[in-house]
Amino acid sequence: MSALIAKFYPMLIVDNLSRFIFWAILLFGALIAVYSFRFMKEKEGLAKYYLYLIFTIIASLGVVLSNNLILLLVFWGFLGFTLYSLINIEASASATAKKTLIIVGGTDTLMLLGIAIIWNLSQTFRIDQMRIALDQPIAVFAYILLACACFAKAGALPFHSWVPDCAKDAPLPVVALLPASLDKLLGIYLLVRLSLNIFVMNNAMNLFLMIVGAVTIVAAVIMALVQHDLKRLLGYHAVSQVGYMVLGIGTGSLIGIAGSIFHMLNNAIYKSCLFLTAGDVESQTKTTDLDMLGGLAKFMPITFAGALIASFSISGVPPFNGFVSKWMIYQGLVERIAAQKTVVISVLCLLAAMFGSALTLASFMKLIHAAFLGTEGAHKKVSEVHWTMWLPVMILALLCAVFGIFAKQIPLNKFVFPAVGAGEFVGFWASSWATLLILFGILIGFLIYFLGNTKGLIREDNNYIGGGAVGQDERVSGVDFYNAIRELKFFKYLYKKEEGKYFDIYEQGKNLLGFVGKLFQFLHNGVLPTYLVWALLGTAVLFLTLIR
Amino acid sequence: MIFFNYFIFPGFLFTAVIGMLASWVDRKVTARVQWRQGPPWYQSFADFIKLLGKEVIVPRQNRRLFLVAPLLALASVTVVATLLGRSMLRPQESFLGDLIVVIYLLTIPATALILGASASANPLASVGASREIKLVLSYELPFLLSMAIVILKSGGLIRINDIIRYQMVNGSILSSASGAVAFVAAILCMQAKLGFVPFDMSEAEQEIMAGALIEYSGAPLAIFKLTKQMLLVVLPIFLISLFWANNLSVMWVILKYVILLVIIILIKNTNPRVKIDQATRFFWGPMTVICIIGVILALIGY
Repeated sequence: MSALIAKFYPMLIVDNLSRFIFWAILLFGALIAVYSFRFMKEKEGLAKYYLYLIFTIIASLGVVLSNNLILLLVFWGFLGFTLYSLINIEASASATAKKTLIIVGGTDTLMLLGIAIIWNLSQTFRIDQMRIALDQPIAVFAYILLACACFAKAGALPFHSWVPDCAKDAPLPVVALLPASLDKLLGIYLLVRLSLNIFVMNNAMNLFLMIVGAVTIVAAVIMALVQHDLKRLLGYHAVSQVGYMVLGIGTGSLIGIAGSIFHMLNNAIYKSCLFLTAGDVESQTKTTDLDMLGGLAKFMPITFAGALIASFSISGVPPFNGFVSKWMIYQGLVERIAAQKTVVISVLCLLAAMFGSALTLASFMKLIHAAFLGTEGAHKKVSEVHWTMWLPVMILALLCAVFGIFAKQIPLNKFVFPAVGAGEFVGFWASSWATLLILFGILIGFLIYFLGNTKGLIREDNNYIGGGAVGQDERVSGVDFYNAIRELKFFKYLYKKEEGKYFDIYEQGKNLLGFVGKLFQFLHNGVLPTYLVWALLGTAVLFLTLIR
Repeated sequence: MIFFNYFIFPGFLFTAVIGMLASWVDRKVTARVQWRQGPPWYQSFADFIKLLGKEVIVPRQNRRLFLVAPLLALASVTVVATLLGRSMLRPQESFLGDLIVVIYLLTIPATALILGASASANPLASVGASREIKLVLSYELPFLLSMAIVILKSGGLIRINDIIRYQMVNGSILSSASGAVAFVAAILCMQAKLGFVPFDMSEAEQEIMAGALIEYSGAPLAIFKLTKQMLLVVLPIFLISLFWANNLSVMWVILKYVILLVIIILIKNTNPRVKIDQATRFFWGPMTVICIIGVILALIGY
């Protein structure tokens, strides 16, 4: 494989970083394809769907292997087009598809401008020959332009608004493949390349990344807390998790960067797992409205197990994989504090990241309660999904556990450290030992269970309140868990602004365009002679300039 | 050696016994404050054994998760007890995990309680779970801020044994102004983590009938109670090792533990239960402001 790619040098190149992302893309592509067989069965335009799916995977592999910025841009732009087409498979999603295309395509244009500046600075397009110092304003400008493209692809603030919309409207396997896994892998891959290979980072740029990351984490997760739709909630978390990766790269220390690459991989695993479980729920109950759901764990135990493990993982519950990568990112920040580098901002970012993690836990407790536990919802009786739909979920959940418990042995030593170099751990976490001890703790509990109750007798009974059976009207759904927080003054204001699409760069851009359009509206009065006069005047000015 | 540490001392057995005794002290003092006689010293053990013998009734929903949730809580508290105990006994080596690991492990008991309550599918349990998770969100912000002060004061150390050794050489973090502020905040967060009055709204007996625990009976209930009692040891020890570890001889540790226990009981007996939104406002308002002042003090070197 590597030999084949080496033939195309200097157009293509493969190193340790691109190699493991290459295999990750293939893994996710394969899992989602298996999942789609059953999920997409009754949809129309399947030939188109699978064609675009294959195109997407090929283009993603192209991005990862490109050593030429123009080639990378071509693949990158093509991905925007396949994303648009894939969202469009769902007939009702055309507005979302348009929004996505405009945000992603618009930032691609910024990237083109950035590449032009890079050519001007370094006279080459070859990534392996670039080391541009960020000492002049024009270089900083180029870096920011390219970073914007990464942010839009991965979904960091302020280019995030397409992700939650897309999560709600697009066909589910598309969401699980693109915004949840591949787009994260690629966006962060390019950001790492930018920060490690193409440019030489300085402290100011690191701070810029850290602040973008910290704001993304907290802002997106606060929005996720109050969502009523399962898929939209997951979409906001898909945005929030990007914050950790950007923050990790921003720390500029080896351990932080390694943590952020590990988090990228972990996020792709648990986030696509979560979206696939949402798909299971959708295909069985025909709804993802959390108000309607409830008590699904009894009917869909395998899906529930997958969702629970992935929720633990994303909330950073030890010993799962999400914890390890977050912990590494925190260490990058602690390293900055120890070295007295911009201590105030480092402390603020550390707090934002850790508190964001608590908010994530809260948000997923709500999800688990509202969809899978609690009293039964208004949906009809359901059964477990077909095996092609739970198998990918189980594989991903298993990866969550294995990558967490054997973090140092498997993912870090095999994939992450060879790619960016091994950092020195500031903290200490013996994950395999701790897992063993936790298992022993559970064993102690089991022994206590049998100590008193030697016959193992357990009686099942219905729930009662005040002597009566629990009725549907007494049901407490998890959806309203955070209404008390919503009523706090500051949050009330924030949520109102968000619902008015105040933070949506797409809506703001639309308003700006409308305003500019209005400025020139008086010229377009529909009277032909007016247009002719303008055209003649224009030609006259043109001639005058050319002749002179 | 690790297994001895885990199962006997300072892990499961030791923490459980001390926790039950501490819980008796709490009950006795509370009783005396209220002009009652109070239970004998072995009351917690008797309660535990009696609960084990009772029939286990589970609701018809999600029986597996309902029974596993208490075990998760017990396991995580035992791991933290072992980790802290060993770091205190042998501060020259790191064991199992650092400060961040402990912070995360200490959220598991609350998570397990919420999962167990949700699995029982009782509406009152859901109300309890919702209050518990909001309480976690509320106290986590000042709690993390006070941990940040520890990291700042110790110059960027996050291994627990390093923090202890730092204090043995340089004096306790509590003795600095910012450390004292953080310590006060951490004590109030500990009260909420323990689920004691005034922050016991998730188990409010009078209004939602023990809330999150409403469907629990027999051995699973005994394990949840045991976890709470073990937390009554683990959390004060955690604060001692972070803020007050200048002298860790046995007598001093016992004295410091008793002082913290007295503070917990005093707060418990002099306050009424607050509503959940009051708790959120308290922790995100005044407490956070105080902690931010503490961080600023730490940054300018006090």
